[in-house]
Amino acid sequence: MATHRKETDPAIRVKALESLLTEKGLIDPKALDALVDTFEHKVGPRNGAKVVAKAWVDPAYKARLLSDGTAAIKELGYSGLQGEDMVVLENTDEVHNVVVCTLCSCYPWPTLGLPPVWYKSAPYRARVVSDPRGVLAEFGVSVPETTEVRVWDTTAELRYLVLPKRPAGTDGLSESQLADLVTRDSMIGVGVVAAP
Amino acid sequence: MLLTPEIVPGLVAAGASARVAAHVAPRFRAGDRVRIRNLNPTTHTRLPRYLRGKIGIVEVDYGVFAFPDTHAHGLGEKPQHCYSVRFTGRELWGPAAPERDTLCADLFDDYMDPA
Amino acid sequence: MNGIHDLGGMHGLGPIDREENEPVFHAPWEGRAFGLFAATFVFAGYTVDEFRHEIEKMGHAEYLEHSYYEHWLVAFEEVLNKRGFVTHEERLARIAQLEQGAH
Repeated sequence: MATHRKETDPAIRVKALESLLTEKGLIDPKALDALVDTFEHKVGPRNGAKVVAKAWVDPAYKARLLSDGTAAIKELGYSGLQGEDMVVLENTDEVHNVVVCTLCSCYPWPTLGLPPVWYKSAPYRARVVSDPRGVLAEFGVSVPETTEVRVWDTTAELRYLVLPKRPAGTDGLSESQLADLVTRDSMIGVGVVAAP
Repeated sequence: MLLTPEIVPGLVAAGASARVAAHVAPRFRAGDRVRIRNLNPTTHTRLPRYLRGKIGIVEVDYGVFAFPDTHAHGLGEKPQHCYSVRFTGRELWGPAAPERDTLCADLFDDYMDPA
Repeated sequence: MNGIHDLGGMHGLGPIDREENEPVFHAPWEGRAFGLFAATFVFAGYTVDEFRHEIEKMGHAEYLEHSYYEHWLVAFEEVLNKRGFVTHEERLARIAQLEQGAH
């Protein structure tokens, strides 16, 4: 079985499964189309960016977000698959949070979409827990010695979203302009939001 | 059930939480010092090797969830509390780790003992 | 299990390769593989824990050398065969047909 897997084009392996399951009436390929469309076009990090921007401008929302991430994120309409139980982590001068799933690839889909390949791959999963500052430096993020780096290993079904620090010089920006500044990497904790 | 395109949006919006609505007494509380058990099952577990035998502090009790170690093998949900547990980097990796740095992992009642 | 997936703290796995602005799916088959999870989950009766465990049981070299959605294919193939929905036999027969251009 293993030898055969190494030799076979994954596109053919998928087509074999999809065609057999369809012929047996067990799946509807149009449902696969809908799922692909949802995650290619409808769900992605722009969702999380809106959550961050709202927290930056609305202190009461920020308080709700930090105390019950699931409910506060759901207020903006983001909830569900791989985001059923959310925890939001605030980056401050005292603590810089960074998220990983060492055992597989757990990631908060409703706010960030599907994870990038590097997040799911062995080098990041292995190294960010034992050398987070080294990994952050590779991502261009330097955290002062006086700031605690706190790594979160997503070992259960909680899903983590980092609330990055609001950069200086953004007082005049609207919520929507602020959301445009927020990067996916800053919500994983491997980036920071740059001043405009 | 046959998943059709009409069902997809509702399914994506609802998801499938692993929380279990069962009254299970927690074994630990925030602030407790715990030692992670040295478990090495050949079956499924969500307890990474790098945490086994380590000492940490319970930060938060997240409530009751299905236990993956049994749920993966058709042995039932065995609902129990899941906690955020914090470890110092030095506890995990030795004295070369930066003094201030920490790591949090989500661990179940069955993975820990009081320390 | 103490498998290759339990990567925290390992050394020697190389640099973190990042692709700028990567697409959600790198090929159409990845999207199909992604969609198959929900589509099979709702009828086949497996848990996400079992799905993960099938991936954990992969050969170590195979795990590290194959891409993320290829891991998912392994899990689908195992859980569907276990439950008799798609046996390895019929799946391999279909693969042989597809490789010969029959479908």
